[in-house]
Amino acid sequence: MRWFILFIAVISCLLLGLAVGEQWINPFAASDALEETILWELRFPRLLTAFAVGGLLALAGAWFQVLLGNPLAEPYVLGVAGSASAGAVTGLMFMPESAWAMSAGAFAGAWIGIVTVMLFSRLGPNRMLLAGVVLAAFWSAVLALLLALLPEQGLFRAFAWMMGDLSHSDIPVPVLLLAWGISLICGLILSRSLDKLLLGERHAEALGVDVKRLRQRLLLLASAVTALAVTAAGTIGFVGLVIPHLMRLLFGSLHRAVLPASAIGGGLLLVLADSAARTAIAPAELPVGILTAIIGVPVFLFLLMKRSG
Amino acid sequence: MNILIQLSNLSVERGGNTLLTELNCTINAGEVVVVLGPNGAGKSSLLLALAGLIPASGSIDLLGKPLASYSRNALSRKIAWQGALPPTEFGLTVRQRLELAADEESNKITSIADAMDIAPLLMRPLGELSSGERQRTELAALMLRDTPIWLLDEPTAHLDLKHQIQCMQILKEQRNSGRAVITVLHDIQQAMAVADFLILIDGKGGAEYGTAKQLFSNHTLSQLFDAPVVREGSVLVPDYGERIL
Repeated sequence: MRWFILFIAVISCLLLGLAVGEQWINPFAASDALEETILWELRFPRLLTAFAVGGLLALAGAWFQVLLGNPLAEPYVLGVAGSASAGAVTGLMFMPESAWAMSAGAFAGAWIGIVTVMLFSRLGPNRMLLAGVVLAAFWSAVLALLLALLPEQGLFRAFAWMMGDLSHSDIPVPVLLLAWGISLICGLILSRSLDKLLLGERHAEALGVDVKRLRQRLLLLASAVTALAVTAAGTIGFVGLVIPHLMRLLFGSLHRAVLPASAIGGGLLLVLADSAARTAIAPAELPVGILTAIIGVPVFLFLLMKRSG
Repeated sequence: MNILIQLSNLSVERGGNTLLTELNCTINAGEVVVVLGPNGAGKSSLLLALAGLIPASGSIDLLGKPLASYSRNALSRKIAWQGALPPTEFGLTVRQRLELAADEESNKITSIADAMDIAPLLMRPLGELSSGERQRTELAALMLRDTPIWLLDEPTAHLDLKHQIQCMQILKEQRNSGRAVITVLHDIQQAMAVADFLILIDGKGGAEYGTAKQLFSNHTLSQLFDAPVVREGSVLVPDYGERIL
């Protein structure tokens, strides 16, 4: 039943996302070619991008939480967002006219951040988390330095990107959807081992999990997924932190349920948030990262209170 | 005799400190071995080393083959380890925790949960249980592991009297099933009730293996724990001083 409701919610939100925007359009009865174009060439690819990015962020969040054994972990906890942002701003600084410089810079920056974190992966979850937090502070400082040096005309683009921007993703929609599917399948293959890791490293090992290898795979997978999501849509907070918890409240703790529910739920939240971002102050747009928190926080707190009660 | 574990010149270190050195012993099927020693002596570390969870020097042979030659997965089919209570942050329920130990939808979960008095708790998250209930859950998880060797680290911790006695009974029953049990205990009387053999770790690097008869004297235990142990009839008990009741 819960899965059916989630499925209906996805369809409803996609239809809603198609219909709303600067101009209301009935997805089933576009009145002219312009509306057809807006629906299927502008809004639909953007909705699919939002869905895939939201799902990827939620999956990465669920993985980082288990990997680090910390429920407060999220995709950006190890500084990948900071290094990606620094990369994006570097791209903007050196090639301000280029359409793809920010994405290319973000992708390169994200991977520099990942490789740096990987150097600390053998330290164990707590120290790796500490190293990640310190690295995040380092990348924030680098980002602040770059922003201080960035010409004024670039600042708006930089800030819009840093708060999440789905308006022009440089990564093709099929690539994002394929990544969403492959990530989910990888997650499901690892799900039993991830469940055992919830019991702690020693218990997982005693139950036959090669924890060292699992951690390496998980770190690489979660980081690669984060890098892709950040490259596609900038840094969008909140989805990766809260959606996995929300889905644990609704679907239980086992990963064979949490991962698909997060991949769908994260997509759902970002589709809703992006639809609201495009509509609230149309024809202008709000940064989608603001909306993910405004929509997601009350829903999460409501469910948390209800379950605790 | 069916030899399950053979230790030769085993030394265990943690954080650069040598906890025990040159432990030699052979543990057969159907034997209960109790590990005794003061806090920090290395009892838990010895179990971790036997489970292959931390490195150790010397040799550990499991069923005639070096422990290191087993893969993680193969080792988990030979040895079950009950250690510290697992974390509760992610909301696993008691049933889910037991399913992870059973590694499949075991039909034994309900009967073992019944036996450990946790059947009414099966759908509750681990974080909502008392320490004693969580400990019983961990014992139930161990009982679901059909391995020839059990390693238990203070299995009676947090348990009330009824369940301490039940736990001792479970350990004794393993003799008949041909399982080797190595358990850390703090209670001398519990140790006397179940032990076929003892490993005494003195906290200064020394470790001794032998029968209760060879090793259990009030003098040895007083020295081991640096605390008075007296004989009352045929049993050894800690000397708590004059009785109030």
